[in-house]
Amino acid sequence: MALEKEIMNFIKHKRIYYAISSILILASLVSLAFLGVNFGIEFTGGSMMEIEYSENVPSVSELRGVLNNAGLSDAIIQSAGENGFVLRMPDISQEKYIELRGLLVGSTENYFESIGPTIGDELKDKSAISIIIASLAIILYIALTFRDAGDRKVKSWQYGMVAAGVGFFHDVLIVLGAFSIMGYLYGIQFTVPIAVALLTVLGYSINDTVVVFDRIRENIAKNPRLLFPDIVNKSLNETLERSINTSATTLFVLIAIFILGGETIRWFVFAMILGISVGTYSSIFIAGPLLVTWFNNKK
Amino acid sequence: MNYYRITVAFIFIIALALGAFVYPIPFGKFVDIPQVDFKLGLDLQGGTQLVYQADLSDVDEIEYEDRMNGLRDLIERRVNYFGVSEPLVQVKGDRLVVELAGVVDPVEAIKMIGETPFLEFRELSGEEDITPEILSIVEEKNKVALEKAESVFQTILDGADFAETAKEYSDDPASAQDGGSLGSFKKGDMVTEFDEAVFSLSAGEIADSIVETDFGYHIIKKDEDENEDGEIVASHILIRKTYPQEYLSEWKRTELSGEHLKTARYFFDQNTRDVIIELEFTSEGGAIFESITERNVNKPLAVFLDGKSIVDTTGDGEITEDDLYAPIIQEKISGGKAIITGESDIESVRQIVTRLRSGALPVPIDLLTYQNVGPTMGMESLNKSLSAGFWGFLAIVLFMIAFYRLPGLLAVISLVCYTIFVLVIFKLLPVTLTLSGIAGFILSIGMAIDANILVFSRMKEELDGGKNLKDSIDNGFERAWPSIRDGNFTTLIVAFILFFIGTSFVQGFAFTLIIGILMSLFAALVITKSLLKIFEGTRLEKINWLWKKK
Repeated sequence: MALEKEIMNFIKHKRIYYAISSILILASLVSLAFLGVNFGIEFTGGSMMEIEYSENVPSVSELRGVLNNAGLSDAIIQSAGENGFVLRMPDISQEKYIELRGLLVGSTENYFESIGPTIGDELKDKSAISIIIASLAIILYIALTFRDAGDRKVKSWQYGMVAAGVGFFHDVLIVLGAFSIMGYLYGIQFTVPIAVALLTVLGYSINDTVVVFDRIRENIAKNPRLLFPDIVNKSLNETLERSINTSATTLFVLIAIFILGGETIRWFVFAMILGISVGTYSSIFIAGPLLVTWFNNKK
Repeated sequence: MNYYRITVAFIFIIALALGAFVYPIPFGKFVDIPQVDFKLGLDLQGGTQLVYQADLSDVDEIEYEDRMNGLRDLIERRVNYFGVSEPLVQVKGDRLVVELAGVVDPVEAIKMIGETPFLEFRELSGEEDITPEILSIVEEKNKVALEKAESVFQTILDGADFAETAKEYSDDPASAQDGGSLGSFKKGDMVTEFDEAVFSLSAGEIADSIVETDFGYHIIKKDEDENEDGEIVASHILIRKTYPQEYLSEWKRTELSGEHLKTARYFFDQNTRDVIIELEFTSEGGAIFESITERNVNKPLAVFLDGKSIVDTTGDGEITEDDLYAPIIQEKISGGKAIITGESDIESVRQIVTRLRSGALPVPIDLLTYQNVGPTMGMESLNKSLSAGFWGFLAIVLFMIAFYRLPGLLAVISLVCYTIFVLVIFKLLPVTLTLSGIAGFILSIGMAIDANILVFSRMKEELDGGKNLKDSIDNGFERAWPSIRDGNFTTLIVAFILFFIGTSFVQGFAFTLIIGILMSLFAALVITKSLLKIFEGTRLEKINWLWKKK
């Protein structure tokens, strides 16, 4: 057994990595179970209006009075900037909207969105369906491309299962958990863009894992005498630089958008940053070791 | 090797030309570049999106598509009145999506689009339609006009300059410019009252009272006496009178409207092959129709939808006051059925029938979702995202060159070409750019870099293993290919699923991601490879530092 010098041993400490990930996953599950997800109006139905006053800016309580007059006493009013407000209301009818615009004298509407409850349910279904279809398609694809890498010990579909499983139950779940906690603490909403970010993270994370697995496949062919755990470790070391560099370059752009980009896509980008970081971590520290664990437990 | 030099030269020329197309400002001075703008989505340029749910519960399933298309046609007509550029009305199943770009008063838009369509039949107005109300309004107006004429006359009597006063007050615009001068004319050229007054004057004299004619109230001045041809020159100041006819619109409403129309269809006459439109009225409608046709034989009956002509008849592509669809009534029609002949253009017949139907049996619509983005907010997000993209790109450039040295630089060049090509596709297809689309594009830049990084790390392994540059490049690409393929393919799977299942926000993201991924494969496998290949066998190959070779 001739491992090269100065290489990290990812397999030896796998219990530590498992423990870290388990804590994160458990925390996410607990948060999702008890705090739930603070869904945005696209999912729940409702209205959101951003208005701005150029002069005679009313106080929040004056605005509250106006909304009460319109029969919208359960609206949530937030100040935005110096002269602006964000109003969150239940899904309002077009008559109510016209009435409200008439009452908000002197304001300019920067943004308004109103979504009926049926759309929200449709969206939830659509999001769930797309995540499930995407996962299945990816497992199938990997199983197909790895068909020649399977041997007596590790079957080709197991690569697919591990790649997609880690992407889904680790990366996506942890980002989801983070949004559940942030939703509870800071009122950050889980919107459609964030669902998109989750799917992208899924694809990205699987991409990362697949690169590692490709190397494993190659190394199995090149080093028929090497033990499987050593092959995995060797492959991880060989792909480490690539994993980090790729994530780093993508993160450069994302972090630039997070800092400089507009408010509109900030949380979308945040979800991607978090997901890509977690995905890179899992493709190095979790996916490879999991293959070893699975392989060792099977005789 | 020559082959790669040619490829690179070729790609550079194309990239430069397309770069000028993407960003014409610095090049536009020297060459003529076709101006194509990026198509911006509502979230970037501001605008309103309305999604309506149509209630098709009373409609036969086979008619769904027809009725939805009729509805779209109807809403399109209305939306065109807003004057926004390229309004978009789309049918999606039993929903209707309306997108209005730019500054639109959302309240106005909602009111107008949501209204029940109003189909009506109008007949020509006649003298009998002058009501006492109109007469009393006209009388009041003319009283005011006379008072005005009297006060103007008084200022003339008080010594005001006739020409100046005419310029200021006369309602006869042609003569007013010339100080009221009517030029030369003979006796009998003017209306009697005017003639009598002006020919009783002598040159330079102003008539001593206001003269009333059919045109209004005149203050008259004779400028020159008769010449040998009997022509005189005179000026006047006219204060116009109002007529009852001005208060009659040409077309007046009848009692007949869309609710009386049962159905409309078209067919071809078996003998003449002419297109014939058939209308069928309800029993109440049939009775009204009978009395209308009875009193309007040989006169036209105009069809209006939402207060405008039902179709474009002038052929200018829009419906204005000049358009009118008014078949002539041949005879009194009883029995509630009528046909319209003489229309030859099948397209416009189809349009007429579709619109008659949507006026007869309106499909109720309900506003489901509504989104309005103010224009400043959109531009702000766009500018911010673009500057963020720029700084992120710069960071990538520095990182790649610092880490991979010469190959890193080549990857950056390839990435610039990649960006240009993708932006050209965005312009030409065109792809409607939304914030989510820009995010998808930025993510695809990450994917494009990834392919390069995969190749470079393989290449370096080969170089370190003692192979020459040529073999290292070839092996590097060959070894990296499965990873590049699998990685891009899995992302493509996700992107396609998003594209087919997602909402328009999601689709925007997925679409740019798909374009970006496909183009990134080209950038890595063709552009970067060709660029690397150029250095095969050159002196630069020997400088290990450039290749980060151990």
